[in-house]
Amino acid sequence: MDELQFRRSIYEDPHSTDEDILNAKASDPSKQKFAKEIQQLDDKILNALKVPVPDDMVQKLILRQALESHQQQKKKKRVHLALAASVAFAMGLTLNFMNFSTAYTTVGDYAFAHTEFEASHFSNADEAKVSLASLNKKMAAFHGNFSDNLGQLIFADYCRFDGMKSLHLVFKGETSPVNVFILPNDVDIAFTNSFSNQQLNGKSMQFKDANIIVVGDKSEALDKWQDNIKSNVTWSI
Amino acid sequence: MATKQVRYEALVKALHADLYRYAYWLCREKQVAEDLVQETFLRAWRALDSLKDEKAAKSWLITILRRENARRFERKRFEMSEYEEATITDTQSMSSEQDIENHWLREKIGSLPEEYREPLVLQVIGGFSGEEIADLLSLNKNTVMTRLFRARNQLKEALEKEPEVRGTYNG
Repeated sequence: MDELQFRRSIYEDPHSTDEDILNAKASDPSKQKFAKEIQQLDDKILNALKVPVPDDMVQKLILRQALESHQQQKKKKRVHLALAASVAFAMGLTLNFMNFSTAYTTVGDYAFAHTEFEASHFSNADEAKVSLASLNKKMAAFHGNFSDNLGQLIFADYCRFDGMKSLHLVFKGETSPVNVFILPNDVDIAFTNSFSNQQLNGKSMQFKDANIIVVGDKSEALDKWQDNIKSNVTWSI
Repeated sequence: MATKQVRYEALVKALHADLYRYAYWLCREKQVAEDLVQETFLRAWRALDSLKDEKAAKSWLITILRRENARRFERKRFEMSEYEEATITDTQSMSSEQDIENHWLREKIGSLPEEYREPLVLQVIGGFSGEEIADLLSLNKNTVMTRLFRARNQLKEALEKEPEVRGTYNG
C-alpha cells in the first residue's frame, strides 16, 4: 500500500481494522505515527461532537410517550364505546323488527293462525251470549254498524290482528265456530280475497274503512256469510 | 403493552444522547435538536412494533430523524435565516484547555459543509461503517469515503493553520 493510499484510508477511517492497513502500520513506523496523529485528531473531534445533552431529556421523552399512549387509550376507549353502542343499537333494531314486523305475508295466513290458535277456547256448543247492541258498541271503533244479527254470536272482543287492533267475532257455525275478523284498512300485509288450508276456508271483503274476513270449516257456506255481512253492515263517515 | 413500554424506555436511555447530538449537528440549534428528538421518539413509539431487530434501532431512529428534519425545512423554509449560525456559540464557561479546544473545534465542525459534516457525525458519534452511512444517506460508499476524507482533512488543516488564533481564547 503506497503512502498516499494509506493516508487517504486513515483519513477516511482512523480506526479501520482493515488487514492491509494494519499490516502497513506494523511494517512502517512513519505510517504508524501518522495513523496515531489522525486518531488523536479523531478523539478531539469526538469530544467536540459530544455536545452536552439536556439533563432531563430521558424524562421528557418518557413523559411525552406516556401522554401519547394515554391519549391513544382514551381514543381506543371511545372506539370501544361507540362499537358497543352500535351493537346495542343494531340488536334493538333487530328485536324491534322481529317483534313487530309481519310474520305472516297475507291476511289469510294470519286469519288461519289466529283462528287455530284460539280454536280451543271456543266450541260450537257454547252459548250465544253477545247481544247485537254490545257488538255494535264494539263496531263503533271501526265506524261500522250491523243492522241485524248475523248469527248466534258466542264471542266478540278486540284483539291484535298482526299488531293492529281488530275485532274478533265468533259465531256458531254448521259444525264448528265461524270466525269473523274486522280489521282496519291499513294493515300492511297482503290482502287476499279467498284462501284455504286443509281444514279451513276463508274469504275477505274490502270496505271503505275496514276489511272483514270470514273463516270457517269446509262445511260452512262462506258466500252466504259474506252476503249476510254485506247486506247488514253500514259504515258511518 | 408492558413489554412495549420497557422496549421504548430502553431505547430512549440507550440512544437519546447519540440522537440528540446527531440532531444538534444537523440543525445546530439546541432547541430545534431537542424538538427533533422528541418528535423522532414519538414516531418511534407509534411504530415500535415495526422495529424487529434491536441492532437496527439506531439507524432506524436516525432515518426517522432525518425525515423529521426534512419536514421541518418544508414547514419553516421562510423562517430560516443565515444569522442562526451565530447560535453555535456554546454558553458554557470555558474553564479548561480541553473546553477551549472543544469550543474552537465545534466552530470548525460547524463551518464544515453539511455534506461533509453529516457522514463524519454518523461515523464518529454513531459508529456506523462506510456502507451503513451510504445506506442512511442514500449515497454510494465511495462518495461517503471521499467526504469523510475531506472532512478530516479540512479539520486537520484548520488545526495546523490557526494555533495563534486558538491562543487568543486564553487571554
